[in-house]
Formats: sequence, structure tokens, C-alpha cells
Amino acid sequence: MKLNVDGLLVYFPYDYIYPEQFSYMLELKRALDAKGHCLLEMPSGTGKTTTLLSLIVAYMKAHPLDLTKLVYCSRTVPEIEKVMEELRKLMNYYEKEMGMEQNILGLALSSRKNLCIHPSVSKEREGKVVDGRCYSLTASFVRARHAADDAVPICEFYEGFDAHGKEFPLPPGVYNLDDLKEYGQTKRWCPYFLARHTITHANIVVYSYHYLLDPKIAEVVSKEISKSSVVVFDEAHNIDNVCIDSMSVKITKRLLDKCSNSITILETTISNMKENDSKRLEKEYKRLVEGLRDATIARETDMALVNPVLPSEILEEAVPGTIRTAEHFVAFLKRVVEYIKTRLRVQHVVQESPAGFLRDIHTKVCIDRKPLRFTAERLASLIRTLEISDLTDFSPLVTVSHFATLVSTYTKGFTIIIEPFEDRAPTVSNPILYFSCLDSSIAIKPVFNRFQTVVITSGTLSPLDMYPKILDFHPVIMTSFTMTLARPCILPMIVSKGNDQVAMSSRYETREDTAVIRNYGNLLVEVAAAVPDGIVCFFTSYLYLETIVSSWYDQGIIDQLQRHKLLFIETQDAAETSLALINYIKACDNGRGAVLLSVARGKVSEGIDFDHHLGRAVLMFGIPYVYTQSRILRARLEYLRDQFQIRENDFLTFDAMRHAAQCLGRCMRGKTDYGIMVLADKRFSRADKRSKLPKWIQEHLKDTNCNLSTEECVQICKRWLRQMAQPFSREDQLGISLLTLEQLQSEEMQKKIQQRAQGV
Amino acid sequence: MADEDETKEYRWESGYEKTWEAIKEDDDGLLESNVADLVARAKRKRAALKATGAIQLGMMRHLFVVVDASACMFLQDLKPTRFLCVLKLLEVFVHEFFDLNPISQLGILTTKMKRSEQITVLAGNQKKHIEALQQLKDLSCEGEPSLQNSLERAMNGLKNMPAHSSREILVLFGSLTTCDPGDIQKTIKALKDNNIRVSIIGLAAEVRICREIAKKTGGTYNVLIDDHHLKELILSQVQPPAVAGSIEASLVKMGFPGGTPSVNDGTSDSSADHAPAYCLCHIDSETSSLMGPNGYNCPQCGSRYCELPVECKQCGLTLVSAPHLARSYHHLFPIKPFIERAQVPNTTHCFACAKLFVEAETNVYECENCHQIVCLDCDLFIRETLHTCPGCASDPVTAQMKTN
Repeated sequence: MKLNVDGLLVYFPYDYIYPEQFSYMLELKRALDAKGHCLLEMPSGTGKTTTLLSLIVAYMKAHPLDLTKLVYCSRTVPEIEKVMEELRKLMNYYEKEMGMEQNILGLALSSRKNLCIHPSVSKEREGKVVDGRCYSLTASFVRARHAADDAVPICEFYEGFDAHGKEFPLPPGVYNLDDLKEYGQTKRWCPYFLARHTITHANIVVYSYHYLLDPKIAEVVSKEISKSSVVVFDEAHNIDNVCIDSMSVKITKRLLDKCSNSITILETTISNMKENDSKRLEKEYKRLVEGLRDATIARETDMALVNPVLPSEILEEAVPGTIRTAEHFVAFLKRVVEYIKTRLRVQHVVQESPAGFLRDIHTKVCIDRKPLRFTAERLASLIRTLEISDLTDFSPLVTVSHFATLVSTYTKGFTIIIEPFEDRAPTVSNPILYFSCLDSSIAIKPVFNRFQTVVITSGTLSPLDMYPKILDFHPVIMTSFTMTLARPCILPMIVSKGNDQVAMSSRYETREDTAVIRNYGNLLVEVAAAVPDGIVCFFTSYLYLETIVSSWYDQGIIDQLQRHKLLFIETQDAAETSLALINYIKACDNGRGAVLLSVARGKVSEGIDFDHHLGRAVLMFGIPYVYTQSRILRARLEYLRDQFQIRENDFLTFDAMRHAAQCLGRCMRGKTDYGIMVLADKRFSRADKRSKLPKWIQEHLKDTNCNLSTEECVQICKRWLRQMAQPFSREDQLGISLLTLEQLQSEEMQKKIQQRAQGV
Repeated sequence: MADEDETKEYRWESGYEKTWEAIKEDDDGLLESNVADLVARAKRKRAALKATGAIQLGMMRHLFVVVDASACMFLQDLKPTRFLCVLKLLEVFVHEFFDLNPISQLGILTTKMKRSEQITVLAGNQKKHIEALQQLKDLSCEGEPSLQNSLERAMNGLKNMPAHSSREILVLFGSLTTCDPGDIQKTIKALKDNNIRVSIIGLAAEVRICREIAKKTGGTYNVLIDDHHLKELILSQVQPPAVAGSIEASLVKMGFPGGTPSVNDGTSDSSADHAPAYCLCHIDSETSSLMGPNGYNCPQCGSRYCELPVECKQCGLTLVSAPHLARSYHHLFPIKPFIERAQVPNTTHCFACAKLFVEAETNVYECENCHQIVCLDCDLFIRETLHTCPGCASDPVTAQMKTN
């Protein structure tokens, strides 16, 4: 249908629209008009993606000069594919309505692993291996060598692309990963490089967060995206963690040992080269004197090694004299690695600032800050010069070089923590050096500065005011939308006590209490007896999950549970977990029913949807606080308190509640869906926790359901499930939660939507 | 946990029922009209549901009723227990079923301990079924049910029934889980291939596999709200379902046994028909006794039966009496639902019962054909019991039209 959103003609590819989708469009348009950033929360299953796409595409068509490009960032490959499907639907609708081909080019980009069509390389399973092998076939020096000697293998697809692909732009249309591969096959061009090349002139680009947030990759992939673009971060409730992860480095003993090996390889290669081809090393030396600026020109395929910081200032300068020659640099690297090794030989935990680290490295092994900053770039240059084509083995050394560059570049917002052993096993020596980013705004700052509009959206962003603080930006629009429903299809409940009136809580003091564990078990058994098909349970940590399951086993609760449903457990092993998931789905499909025990913050809680019968109930055992004894977390909390005036407890609660909300949201994937949400912890009913739940859950959390015992909870479940099982058709929704064009245009509804927009 | 469930549920343990919220005062601050309205609407709704006129109905039905007898049937959310409540309602159902579908047959299965048991075989004798149901009351409910096993067993019973009859399974399913030996999807496919319609009534909550079975085989799936609703749901299965297009129409050979000797209707004229004989219905049981002259003789082989309708044990002929057929006849021509009208000023009384319309009565109902106005109660009576419009029947013109 064609909508009028505040004066903008929007083509919406469906016959019906949810009222909140319309409100969402209104707010989004305001943000685009203001050229500012915005933060929008809308429940999952209300068609966020299609709403975003249809409004932004309409805006791009109406104001082609103000808005040139949409960059849509999603988390996983399946999510990217979903976005492409919605986009295709939208474009088909445009074509049908306008009766002509649309001049819009949209494409998805993913790693080489997902796009490679080379017959043998594409068979590799690991992303790193594919990258490495691709590099060994397409690096500039390999191709140069091939020109001299035909026996050197190269990738015919890349050659095809290099010869012709750049002159012929991709015809307009929507390309998902498979389409790109197919197009590549027919033209015999490499789809990966084709996609990367096309990014610069495509109208819509869909890819993963990392291409924009991780400076190591962003520099290569997303450098040329113009300022007049809109950037969308979907499912962005964890965006601060992604930012932090992309800037953090973890160095273990094993990694350092591998580094030593790589250094030896470097040494022998250098000495070999010296004997055979010393000119090349000289050439490199000269180039380094001139500076690195032109080193990056025409080297798009050499991306595996890049500077982790935005290197504009570094490129201006010449590489310091101490590391210009290859031997000196290798010796320098050796010293760095040895130094870190000595640092790891500690008996107690060390925490220091980057400045302290630099001072120490200076006094102990006489390494200055400046050469350290160039480590990453210098290593990249060396590897190019040495023409080492197998990069996979060098990744540990690359990590160390990143660390060296980062630690000497940023003095604020980072910390170094050296732990000699894990907390769980204090007798086993396992030293680890964490170089941890404390400030999530560092990685995302360039994004906010560069693009005119950044949209951060997710199903669970509450409390909204926390995100601007921790990401350090000023949104022009900050809104949370609720879900209009024709029937109350979520049932959130806070269960605070067992039938014996013992309070249930995962509080540290009561966590080992058998009465609490037994009550949790009884709750699960009774809910399993009353709820059909699939039930998903979330625990606060793997450790807690394991202790609880073992005591349930002793208490006979597992036996009782298995009378009603099959039991599956998420473990830290990804293969095991996916096997468990497959069988869980099977058990739900054939009517046996199943319970999945999993962990908040785990794989299940983030990426997997339990729609309809797969998740009729979600149980949250305890509040999923992050492990508060972790030193990295402590350092971050301290930093947040000093820099952003966020109280430690506020941040912890915020973090716990957003994960809880994520877990709860798993069971609700659309308006025809329904699900029970049980929050089994006394502390959830406190105002500071309750108020941090997303608005759409809070709305259905009645005061009467905030302090229930197991028995009461089960009674309410039973009654509610019977009501939900009654026939429910589209006609029941029409006019309330689902609107036709006429209904949307009716004055009454417009008034309601206006009210809602103002009310928030 | 099981122990806790067996203790009686107290009133204070169930949630609050805000009965007062459903009632709203009218403009004068009175409740009366409102209550009347609520009642009327509920009645009307039920009637309207039945009045969806299907074109072709399967009049000859073969139905297996599967009763869940697993551990969860001991729960007391239906009084006295789910199992007893269901059995009691089934007795009513069996009675109504044979009343409305006299030439149909019915069988009963139970499922428990992952197995399925046959209680009665497909037969047209309602007494036998009701007796079996009464005996079932002492059955202990235990273990898990198996949908697949019971469906397979019912399917084996139904597979060989003639193609012109409608084959159905009705499952009363209390459990939320099913414990099956194999892939239930194969069973569903087989059911579909055999044109068997599976309807399921859930006693607790929506189970997806049940919905899927019902949807794929063309049946219905409903979940009860309370025991009244359950009764409604079970009784809604009494109405013969519309026939799926694939069933061929065919002629069925039937026997119409003669009545008592005093009635000489020409079908049975030899004196041998009235000689004392053993009734074949009860020939196996110990209670069988020599029957007097009263009874029904099969016109084909002469076997004696004490009850109709029945399938002749000797020659397999279906024996019915004319009234039986007439009773199922109205399913074929359901009367059209009456139009609801606000009170019409020029009629003061109901055409059917001659009751005067009073102020409180908000709506009256008009027949499409004869334009006579009846009251709500008569509307329901006509629809549920009479199956013919008194207005049309008494008007010579429309009555003529209908017979032609």
C-alpha cells in the first residue's frame, strides 16, 4: 500500500500495516529530516526491517541529494539474508506499482568464506583459512610472480574481475550472497571483490557490524562510504560490547610461543632473501623512509594485515629509523615478544594503564613509544616484501603487533590486566594478558562523526537513556514503541517464592541453598506439566547451570521432568549445542515436548528464535548479572563511573536486565505468536529492575503478577493457555493491531498514532 | 509434585474471576437489559455456528473416539476428574450421535502407557458403547498417551470401510505430550491418503502436533475453556461434517425390516417372521433369551434383531427404519439462518409461539422465505430441534416450493 508519512510517499509492500510501524516511520523520518542520530526500540516480530527499508528507500527516492546510501548492519549471515529478502519484496512492489525497473542497487557483503567460488578454496571450512588461501592466490606479488612464471597458481575469478569487472558496474537490483555467487559464476568474476568494489556505488549495503565498527576492517571495506549516508544498526542492544571487543586484545602464553616460531621463520626468510634478492629489501627501506602513504595504494587484496587504529596521522610520518631495516625490525619484534613473556611470568594479578606499560617497556628493554606505534604497519609491509603467501601461521604475531600499536596509541580508555591463573583453577598456571578497551565510544565515534544519520534499533534497548551515555553521542530522537495487540499474547510473571514460601533468588548468598534449588526445580517441573511443546530456561551462567542440574539430579527433579518433556542442555561446545537444538526442535515438532536449559549471554539467548510452539514459555532463573568478580569488568565499571558518571550498580542492573529482556523476547516473534515469560527471582519485582524491562513487556506485567508462588504461577498459566488456544484469525486483529490503508487513514487512528508518538 | 496435584484445588488457589467486569450498567443504571443481551448473544452465537449450511454431508459416518487415559487425566481441573468428566460427556455424545446419525457406526479406543487399547469395535449399537463407557470409569489412568499408536489403530479399523461413508476420528486429548514409536508425520500422511478426518479436542492447552494433524486431515482442533465449553465442543461433533470432494456418491443397499405383526406393511408377511427366535444382538452374551414375536427381521436373511438401526450380522445388510433416515435428512437441507432485526413495529407477537414482544426483547428474527417474525427462543428451537420453519410449512406457497 502507499502511505503518506508526514508528507512523504512511502511504498509499503504489504496490504496491512501495524500501527506501531507507522509511528516508527514517523519518528524515523523526523530523524532523517534533522540529519541526526536516533535510538528506536520496537518489539521483535513487528516488522522492524521492512519498516526501516521502506521508509529509507522512499526517502532516498524523494531526496536523492540529501541521502545517497543506506548501510544496514546486522549481526549474523541469516539475519543479513532476511534483510535482503525484505528488500527484494520491497523492490518487487516498487516495480509492480511504478511499472518499470528501479534504479536501485542493493547488495549484501560477507566474508570470503561465504562468498568464495574458487573450486578448492571454497571447500575450506574455517574463515581464517579461506582468507589465507585467498591471499596466497590474489596478493599483488603472487600475481606479479605469476606473470613471470605460469606455474604459480592464481585465482582465475579474481583475474577475471580485475580484468573486466571494474569497468562494468553491477546492474541495478537486489543481490544477496547467493545471487552474487551466481552472478560471479556466470561472469567468472570473484563475487567477494566484486561486492567490495560495488559498495562504493551501491545504494543499499547490508553487512555485518564489524565492517563498520572494527577499525581493522572498516578502514579497508568502508572507507569510501560518503557522509550523506544513513547507517542502521539492527539488533543493536549489544553494540557497546561489539565496540569493546573489536578494540581489545588477549594474549596467552601459547600465542607468544607461536609468535617466536613465526619470528624464526621471518628471520630465515630475510637471510635467504638477503643472499638472493637484497635489492628488494633495499627498496622497501627506501619506501619506508618516504612514508607509508603510497604503500597502501593499489593493494586492496592485501587486506589481511592492516593497522588497527585509524592511521591517518601515522601515514603522514616516516617510519622511525630503528625499525626500518628488516633485521632490526625482527629483532625489535623479538624483544617485544620476550618482554611480554617476562611480564606473563607473574604470580599475582597485575593491572596497569597503557602509560605505565609503556614506561616499563622503556626502562626494561629500551623500546620507545614511537616505533611501537608503527609495529602493525611495519609488520604488514615486511610480510608483503618477503612475499610470504601463507598468512594463517602469522596471525599470532599479527595479534601482538596490533597490541603494540594499540597500547602505544591510546592512553585513555584502556587497561592492561595480567592474570597468572584463572579464578576457577587457582593452582593451574595459565597466564593471560588482557588489553581491554573500557570505553565503547572509541570504536563507534568515527561512525557517529562521519555519517549524518545513525539509527540504533532493537527489540530490547531499555532503558534508552543508557545508550547515549555509554556510546557518548546525542540522539535527536529516542523512542520506545509498544506492541498493539488484539489479545494479551505475552504473559510476564515474577515468581518470587516456592510453594513452601522460601524466597527464590540467585543471589550469591542463597545460590547454594538446597531449598532455593529445589524450588527452582519444582517450578520447572510444574510449568513443564502445564505448558505444551517447547520450554526454554535461562540460567545466569554455565557454572550455575551445572551446579543446579547436578543437584536436581540428586533431588530426583530431572526424573520428574523427563516424565513430561525431553531435556536438552546448552554447553560451551558449539557443535554439541547445535545438535541439542536440532533435537529440541524435533521433539517440539512431533509433539513430545522439550525443555532446553541454556545460559543468558550464550549462543541460544542471542541468535536463536523460539517462535510459536518452539517457545511457549521462557523461564529466567535468577538475574543474569555479569560475573562481577572479573577484573576487566571492574576496570570498566570504574572507568564508566569516572568518565560518564554512571554508577556501578546502575550499569550492572542495566546490563543484566537487557540480557534478561533478550532472553524473554526469544519466545515472542510476531503477533500471532504467544508465550509465557517467567522471571524467577525475588529481586525482579523491585522497582529498579522492573522499570528497566522494555516497555512492551512492562505493559503486560500486572501488579498482581509480580509476587507469585509456584502454585499461583501454574494456575495462571493454565488458564491463560486455554484462552490463547481459542481460535484467532486475522479478522480479530484487523482494526486493532493490524490496519488496512483505509483504517490507517481514518481520523481516529491518526489521532491515536499522534498521541502515541507524543506520549513517549 | 504429583501428590500436590491430587489434592483438591481450592477456590482461593485459582485466580480471581472478575465477573463484575463483564456486566455493564445501561443508561438508566440498570443491569437487566444488559444481562438479557449477554445471554441472547451467547445463544445466538452457538446457533449461528451450526447454521453454516454445507452442500453435501456425510450421512453414513464411521467414527472412532480416542480417549486419553494417561496420568494427566487424573487432574481435577474438570470435576470430578478430567477422565470421569470426559466419560460422562461421552455418554451424552454417544446418545446424541446415534440419535442424529442413525445409520452410522462408532468405536471407542483409549490410550495410555504409550499404547492404545480397543474398548469397543465399530458398531451401530449405542447400548454397547454406553455400557463400555460406564465400565471404563474404573480404569486407572497412568503413563503417557501415544497419538500415533491410537491413530494407527483407528486407521486400521477405518481403512476398509466403504468409500461413500465418511471416516472420522475424534481424539479427546488431555496430555500435552505424546510418546510415539515412530515418525508421526508418516501416520498423518497415511490418514490423509485414506481420507480420514481427525478432529481433536484438547483439554489443557494448544499442542502443535494436534493442530497440525487436524489441519492436515481436514478436521477441527479446539481447546476447552471450562466444562461447559467442553460439552459444547464434544456435541458439535455430533453434526455430520461436510464431505470432502473426493468421496464418490453411491447407492447403498439397505433393509427396512417390518414392524410388529399387528402392522401389516407388506414387507414381512410370512408367519415365520413372527415365530419366537433368538435375537442376534445378544446371541453371544449370557443374557440372550428367546424373543417373542416383537423384533425386526432382516428382509434378506431373516435374522431377528431387537433394535434398529443395526448391521445384519448374517448378511451384512444395513437395517434401518424409515424414521431414522428421515431424521438424518434434515442435515442435507439445513434451514437458512434467520435474519436478526431490531424490533419491527407492526408485529406484536411471535409467529411461532404467539408470545407478545416486550420491551426488554431487543431483537427478533425473520425468515428469509416467508418473512414471518419469531422470537429468540423460537429461533433457537427451530434451529436446534425442529429443523423446519413453521412459517414456511404453514404457508401453502412456500411449502409447495420446498417439496418441489
